[in-house]
Amino acid sequence: MDLDAHLPAILTGDTRAFGRWMAGAEGTMRDSLRSFASVLDVESVLQEALLRVWQVAPRFVADGRPNGLLRLGIRIARNLAVSELRRTKSRPVPEEDLERALAQAEAVDAGESGPDPLLREVLAKCHDRLPEKPRQVIGIRLSSEGGRSDDELASLVGMRVNTFLQNFTRARRMLADCLKKHGILVEEGLES
Amino acid sequence: MTPEEEEILIEQVAGAYRPRAREELRYHPAWHDLGEAERVRAYEIARSMRKVEAALDADGMSTTARAVLARIEGR
Repeated sequence: MDLDAHLPAILTGDTRAFGRWMAGAEGTMRDSLRSFASVLDVESVLQEALLRVWQVAPRFVADGRPNGLLRLGIRIARNLAVSELRRTKSRPVPEEDLERALAQAEAVDAGESGPDPLLREVLAKCHDRLPEKPRQVIGIRLSSEGGRSDDELASLVGMRVNTFLQNFTRARRMLADCLKKHGILVEEGLES
Repeated sequence: MTPEEEEILIEQVAGAYRPRAREELRYHPAWHDLGEAERVRAYEIARSMRKVEAALDADGMSTTARAVLARIEGR
């Protein structure tokens, strides 16, 4: 089953179905923008690209190959990034990620695209074991759903923004250590 | 900028919060204060943190996906 399995529900305007699609598609789309990371704010480009996928989905026509909407999403993200380079007059970057991302997109399986169950289980334990303040800052960032700035979140928990972010860094590194202790391979970004 | 100040900016940019905009993309304000290597580092932190967030979320969605969903649903 590919991610296009969510399409019928997406076409009826089911935003939760689009959420499930995003859960499977986000990583591949983000990876496809890696070469732009030094010159563009990839998070901003990615969120806008995901929004545009939702907007064009009703006009999407499948080509019979798996993950057509994801492949379209990768192209939307790429085109958006290229126009941003032009708008901001940033230097061009190598195109190396596009073909790799499109090939990777064909292999994404909706049945396996969610978080790994073992990772979920271990991470839940590691999260529970965090000291109070690091756990609190992770929790409030998750519950804010990317809708509030760190200044606002820090104020909500009664911390200075620097303290809030230092606690976040601490939480991230502690989670990385805990995952490693449980034999889970940790990406460099988590412990840096 | 001290290394500590730089760390703070990187952690902010690695988050999913972005100011909302009607037309053009809105970058995180702190992104402009980072050098190229630090921007790549923020990208790598975001990449790995989104997987953690998804694994901690009942629906397997990261804060990026949640932020987009909130915009779609007009929240």
